Amino acid sequence: MKGYSGRFLKVDLTSGSTGFYEPTHDHYRNFIGGAGLAARIFLENGDFEADALAPESLLIFSLGPFAGLHLSGSSRFSAAARSPLTGHWADSSCGGNFAPELRYAGFDGIIVSGAADYPSLLVIKDLSVKIESCQELWGQGIESTTSILKHRFGQSFKTLAIGPAGENLVKFACIMNDGHSAFGRTGLGAVMGSKKLKAIVLKASKKTFYVHDPENCKRLVSDLNNRARESVTLGVMRENGTASNLEGGVHLGDVPIRNFTSNFWEEMAEALTGSTLSEKYLIRRANCAFCNVACKRVVQIDDGPFALSKGPGPEYETIAAFGSLLGSMDLAATCKAGRVCNDLGLDTISCGSTIAWAIEAFEKGDLGLSDTAGLKFKWGDMRTIIENLIPLIALRKGKLGRLLAEGSVSAAKRTGGDSNSYTVHAKGLEAPMHDPRGGGHGLALTYAISHRGACHVFSPMLFMEMGACYYPEIGFDLELDPMSSDNKPEAAVVAVTLGALENSACMCQFADREITIPEWVELFNYVAGMNWDIEDMMKTGRRIFYLQRLINHRFGIGAKDDVVSRRLLAPATDGAPEGIEINFAEMKRRFYELMDLDSISGSPSLQVIMDHDLAIEKSRVMGDLF
Amino acid sequence: MEFWKDETEPIKAFLALFENAKKDPELSEGLKKVNQLIWFDYTEDGPNCSFHVDCRNGDIKAEVGKPEEQPDLTMSLSADDAHRSWSNKLNPVMAITRKKIRVKGSATGLLKLAPKLKRVASIYGNTLREMGWEGKIIA
Repeated sequence: MKGYSGRFLKVDLTSGSTGFYEPTHDHYRNFIGGAGLAARIFLENGDFEADALAPESLLIFSLGPFAGLHLSGSSRFSAAARSPLTGHWADSSCGGNFAPELRYAGFDGIIVSGAADYPSLLVIKDLSVKIESCQELWGQGIESTTSILKHRFGQSFKTLAIGPAGENLVKFACIMNDGHSAFGRTGLGAVMGSKKLKAIVLKASKKTFYVHDPENCKRLVSDLNNRARESVTLGVMRENGTASNLEGGVHLGDVPIRNFTSNFWEEMAEALTGSTLSEKYLIRRANCAFCNVACKRVVQIDDGPFALSKGPGPEYETIAAFGSLLGSMDLAATCKAGRVCNDLGLDTISCGSTIAWAIEAFEKGDLGLSDTAGLKFKWGDMRTIIENLIPLIALRKGKLGRLLAEGSVSAAKRTGGDSNSYTVHAKGLEAPMHDPRGGGHGLALTYAISHRGACHVFSPMLFMEMGACYYPEIGFDLELDPMSSDNKPEAAVVAVTLGALENSACMCQFADREITIPEWVELFNYVAGMNWDIEDMMKTGRRIFYLQRLINHRFGIGAKDDVVSRRLLAPATDGAPEGIEINFAEMKRRFYELMDLDSISGSPSLQVIMDHDLAIEKSRVMGDLF
Repeated sequence: MEFWKDETEPIKAFLALFENAKKDPELSEGLKKVNQLIWFDYTEDGPNCSFHVDCRNGDIKAEVGKPEEQPDLTMSLSADDAHRSWSNKLNPVMAITRKKIRVKGSATGLLKLAPKLKRVASIYGNTLREMGWEGKIIA
């Protein structure tokens, strides 16, 4: 099948063996790649009984069909596994430059199973693969690991590595590509750490791969790249990064403040927004492979308590998670915190959220000085957070480090009292830095129904509610009011379908905003020869959404789990959304009705299973079709 | 046009809006931060239906027509949609996505103004009242 290599690299770290795994033609066609194909591969090869950190668990890296194209936004890929943070099925997405290199090397992904006895390094050069010992790298931060590997193998080798957090099985550890791009969410760095896999290095000799219709593909890619280059919204992103509209977000009530207790803080808005970052600390802009948007930042801070050498700068999520969420408007501190988290290998969203929970717990007396090793927590005390708390979490140091390394939900369970009431999550995954009360009521719904938990890139709902999506070809021409629950279930049906397509094609949600629905179909057809029409494509997106729900059902997730924390639904007490209620129960009821989901199990009906050609998959998950 | 008799009316209203905005300390500061030469192009409703605002170098000047210099930003839309926009009844992101507003140049400065659209709408309402055009105010 053109557009794909047709093989995954299979690595068993227990036996030290490697080989190839070839998904069937139907698996590629029905589940595309990325998150969708990873779910299907898990269904075929995974062990539902295995703990997330057991050797039997699988860690799957999976490319979309467009990786390797010189197309803006196409250089992302997925990692998937049972999440150690949430206990159920999860995937995460990463940009950077690893995905095209893996495609050029001749693979559509990597399936890692087992666990090595010693710290290991996977070295891939085209189709040649070696597992090497790397005891000397264990304990090293991401920056030095990346630097040592590049020095040893060559600058052109691409790297994927975990930091001390992954080695110490911190439940929200991330995996970093070349020290700047992250598989941030759901703790997949801990899965890699449990397998004693410190890093993967990769190089392809040739930089080519074959597509189904080269001529039309070249024309379409050129058109889309030109559009990305000329786009006003993407131009703003290029100029001031993903935090370019943070100031506007504060005025909408979208940006969380002090653990989601407030929706408005005017002075903070200008202090943390993307243009301020550009004016004060930006050295240059950076991009994922072949992307014209260049939303990544390279920053340097010359002096002050958070002075920082030239290197990767924070994206919006990090700025908010280590800024407003922690009651700070110190932009330099957000840069420093982001860099420290990256080096230790921590997801900045879950880390910031867990610390926000801890500060509130300390404030309310649920955590005392005996729990915090004498540290006093207060909002905005970024020195304590950066110098003490973040390293202590990554190293699981002391009682406090061990508590917070489990994530906020688990920490609240262990702490007891009323501390669960101020965790902010869905299905155990801490919420990203978009508050549904101001950012859009539909976000509350999509956080809740997301298989991986509260995640803003599970679907494009955030963009749909802000007005950045217009898809008349599939009937989505709704003018949504973010602060109303009206029409959100209908929008969510489109959102989860497009989200499944985006996360399986592994396209960037910023760059692909400029691609129309017919062009999406053309891309699939020209690259992979899918021969789809619009309905074929949309059905495939829905099929992937349903498959992910089936897998989660087997992990014990049901309709009762499709919820968000109470705090996200309590009417805001200030800012633009003050006093407005989210009609969550009705949105969920209607969405279930529209998607034909069972109100108890949350699983798709038999009719849906048959309509979406998922009978084999359902039988595999449930043991039988009925 | 739904709201205007001829192409001169919207320009009169919008220039008056900017005169009043200059007197508002918060908006005036906000406009200065935009620091761009912007051409508001409504020429789809008539060849003279446009104005420009120069808010570079700490000053704010609004004048009829296209600027002599190359604008940093051009916003092309209908005079009716401009009226909706200044009345805060048109989601600018949605309007750009649906091509009701065509933007050329850097929109970064405009993002600084977006949070102040409610305030602009309030001043615009007062401006229309002063001009005896209460009937044009969108409820």
